Amino acid sequence: MGLHGSFMALAHSPLGHAMQTSRWAFAVVEMVHLLGLAVLGGSVLIVDLRLLGVILKGESAITISRELSRLLIGSLLVMVLSGIALLSEEAGKCYYSPAFRWKMALLAAAVIFYFTLHRQAILCTRRGTLKLWPRIAALVSLLLWLGVGVAGRAIGLL
Amino acid sequence: MPILQHFCETLYHSGFGTMLRESNNAFSVIESVHVLSITLLIGTIAVLDFRMLGLILRSIAVSSVARSVMPLTWSGFAVSVMSGFLLFWAEAEKMYVNPSFRAKLVLLALAGINALVFHRTIYRRAQEWERQHVSPWRARATAFASLMLWSGVIIAGRAIAYF
Repeated sequence: MGLHGSFMALAHSPLGHAMQTSRWAFAVVEMVHLLGLAVLGGSVLIVDLRLLGVILKGESAITISRELSRLLIGSLLVMVLSGIALLSEEAGKCYYSPAFRWKMALLAAAVIFYFTLHRQAILCTRRGTLKLWPRIAALVSLLLWLGVGVAGRAIGLL
Repeated sequence: MPILQHFCETLYHSGFGTMLRESNNAFSVIESVHVLSITLLIGTIAVLDFRMLGLILRSIAVSSVARSVMPLTWSGFAVSVMSGFLLFWAEAEKMYVNPSFRAKLVLLALAGINALVFHRTIYRRAQEWERQHVSPWRARATAFASLMLWSGVIIAGRAIAYF
């Protein structure tokens, strides 16, 4: 099944039908998506601002990142699940939307970056001296996640 | 006509309000800023709330978390209010009669009162409990109320479009 086929399968799934026929389902799911956005954004901000040395300078970046990882991943999961539900309501439109494709590309980049280079950069802080790489990683992270958010807004507007 | 309604209608029909409302991009951009600002305003305060509930960052004193979070939250508040006021200006006449918008403002005020009471009372004695992994019940109650009220603001805000 090709990509377009997968999108259509989602649209024709029970989830898709429920989302398309219900008058309030889309609104409720969108609200959940926004609540997830708030928490995800807050987690990302705290971790990356610490890496930039802007806040909580007296505390270990490794500790902060570890302690916020559950919140970050949890809220990300909420956003992905609610996002799939939203997608099932307008799969065709999203498939052809450049904004949606940008959002998915940036999301993939942000998530992969988080679990790889970003993680490495945080572990770098243990040695305490090399500050440049953690700061660059934090900036890349913030820009990627901001891109996801802006692209997400653009889906509805373009 | 009530003075508040008259004020809303004046804003709505003003040149600036009309320009915003009918603009191709301005309103969308301002709205996007407003929506994304919830990360800076609500996401950060949620981290402090979760700390007081003893769920995250337990090894860090509550006041340290608060000192880092509060400037971010206030920045987010400034951005939210400025963008929100412009959005309101463009649609003021409709917002006056919109029950979800009214609910959002009430919840916003309650969130502010919740924070004010907290800072004037239990937080004054923070040095007594800031190192505890789980904060005292009054702080936890504030944190829970904060999460509920700010969630309500987001929900009511989204629901505005449906009325």
